[in-house]
Amino acid sequence: MRTSTRKRLLAFPALAVIVLLSLAGSAYAHHGFVSWFDMGRSVTVKGTVTSFDWTNPHSYIYFDVKDEKGATQKWSAELGAVAMLARAGWRKDMLKPGDEITLIGNPSKDSKPMMHLDKIVFANGQELATAL
Amino acid sequence: MTVAATLALSRAALAQEAAKPGAAPDISGVWLVEKFEPRLFPNGGGAPFTPWAEAKFKATDPKTNDPNLACLPMGVPRFMIAVPYPMEILQLPARVMIIHEGPQVMRQVYMNRQHPKDLDPTYSGDAIGKWEGDTLVVDTIGFNDKTWLDGGGLPHSEALHVVERIRRVDHDTLVDDITVEDPMAYTKPLTNRQVYKLKPGWEIQEYVCEENNKYTYQGK
Repeated sequence: MRTSTRKRLLAFPALAVIVLLSLAGSAYAHHGFVSWFDMGRSVTVKGTVTSFDWTNPHSYIYFDVKDEKGATQKWSAELGAVAMLARAGWRKDMLKPGDEITLIGNPSKDSKPMMHLDKIVFANGQELATAL
Repeated sequence: MTVAATLALSRAALAQEAAKPGAAPDISGVWLVEKFEPRLFPNGGGAPFTPWAEAKFKATDPKTNDPNLACLPMGVPRFMIAVPYPMEILQLPARVMIIHEGPQVMRQVYMNRQHPKDLDPTYSGDAIGKWEGDTLVVDTIGFNDKTWLDGGGLPHSEALHVVERIRRVDHDTLVDDITVEDPMAYTKPLTNRQVYKLKPGWEIQEYVCEENNKYTYQGK
């Protein structure tokens, strides 16, 4: 379980993204996640699903995030391998274009609209972690 | 032979072998590392590099030249320590096989022979094993130098020699005490202990790393 110590707004352009400083790292890092993503921080991003790659070595959620002015930014969230996700309760058909989601994970180190996903919150409030 | 066919054959052979009195200790099952830490020295420093290895280490970059970015095999001991996916151990009378889910590689430990002479270097090397009481002692040589020892980029040469002492300390726990010797790369042996937990009901699943690999490997 993550321990949040403080909150602040991240400087992604025109996006309201909450950053939670985290004391814990991801349970499952692979393919050099630690090189690409800041595993010491956590961001929470709300958006609309555009597609879902249920693939190896990683799965991906692609989603649109809108700012207050209506501008859209294309985001992606990287998940783990299919088999481990399935063991954690994920299914390939659980996301479809248009779904409203909230994603919590580690931001990219170079401020690109990418994240390493730790947990998803569906529109109905159901939560699902990527790790067991 | 496909992995699926090998699994089916091996389970049948294992069942026959398990019924024999005096059979080898049972370390079979699907296991997952208890704590995923891909680096041998997670706190930095510590590796007793030779000048040759230190220069190689300084040239490593997990974002560009990690062989894993190209879905290449992990090699040993990285295969045993830096994989956040389960492995299945199958025991045959003359072989112990370790099948990893991802990247999908089968490591074979031969129980009834010595290392062949003039080994052609490979990613997994040549592994031979013997039982010392409840401990499976695995001796592996014959590696190529294309892999990293761990997820942190520790290099090695073809002189790499890995000795593992694998034992089931209780029904749900497997321990692998790993000793790495490579006089070309390190001035003294490296040691590491990995702890795995049994995962009842789990089956090794397909994992095709090349399916949607978005990372780019810029190594040789």
